Amino acid sequence: MRMNETEKELVEMVLSGRSEAFEPLVTPYRQPLLAVAYRLTRDWEEAKEVAQEALLRAFKYLGRYDTSRSFRNWLFQIAANEARDRLRKRRREADAAVEAGRESIRNQGPESGRRAREFRSDIDNCLSVLSAREREVFVLRDLEDLNIKETAGILGISSVSVRVNLSSARRKVRDVILAKYPHLEEGR
Amino acid sequence: MRCRQAKKAVPLLAGGDLSPRKAQKILAHIEGCRACRLDLEGYRSALGRVKAAAREEGLRDWSDPEWKGLLARIITEKSAERSPAPRLRPRWAMASGLAAVVLLAVLTLVFRNSIFRPEGTAPAAGPEVVSVTMVSQETGLQVVWFLNKYFEWKGDNK
Repeated sequence: MRMNETEKELVEMVLSGRSEAFEPLVTPYRQPLLAVAYRLTRDWEEAKEVAQEALLRAFKYLGRYDTSRSFRNWLFQIAANEARDRLRKRRREADAAVEAGRESIRNQGPESGRRAREFRSDIDNCLSVLSAREREVFVLRDLEDLNIKETAGILGISSVSVRVNLSSARRKVRDVILAKYPHLEEGR
Repeated sequence: MRCRQAKKAVPLLAGGDLSPRKAQKILAHIEGCRACRLDLEGYRSALGRVKAAAREEGLRDWSDPEWKGLLARIITEKSAERSPAPRLRPRWAMASGLAAVVLLAVLTLVFRNSIFRPEGTAPAAGPEVVSVTMVSQETGLQVVWFLNKYFEWKGDNK
């Protein structure tokens, strides 16, 4: 998906100082950007922050944008980078919290954990078993329906790496789904 | 083709991510291999289920005021970056500059009445005593100097 002429003109207008052209440039991606951010973070508040940051950076660094590329994918790339940084930070904080409260979690027993898992959606259950890279690849390729090349471009990795991560992500997702719905194994 | 090779390619085949040639090879194997066929069906069902769940998830959107506010903020922040507020000089620099101006004015007054007066001429009518007040902007301390017309110090804080 390459940039269309209207977008190119809007980018040039913003770069020449007409900031008001930024709104028509990004409005078509208003919802898709938020959706990608949500699927990567699985938290609406965080998704909004990620999308906001992506828009802010897009405006700030529009001069560095290569107009031969898709503007949407460039926006998604910024959002994916931001989401990755936040997830990394969140994981570090969670690790520290688990370490600190290991005793209290142990006291709650396995029942509370099982109950929490039951209330999570299928998507949450699947994404929770994926590594950060697998999750990004799976979200962009399978949930956002981008192709392998676009996914690679957004994540700044090779197509081979996308295929490797996609394979292992789909394997893990299948295992989670089949564990919950065993009848699907026979294709019913 | 063996099952081991097919099993490696099945996850990509299930999502339609293999080249037509490679897909054809795997499908040829799968036709005659029940285990691999079930494997492929399992992947397709699982993927279908997750994709359907993603479609049904009901993704939210920004409210219009939220979106407009966000864009306005972004544009304002960026514009502020483009024209940064003028940097204020440090206080001490301003105070010293002011003191220098005051001192220069006083010296001009004093010397006009003494050095540049021609020999034998009567002194011009003017103040016999000049006072200079310096005020610190930071502490509020005032220092007053009294000088006679020959620029001789007469004392301070009188």
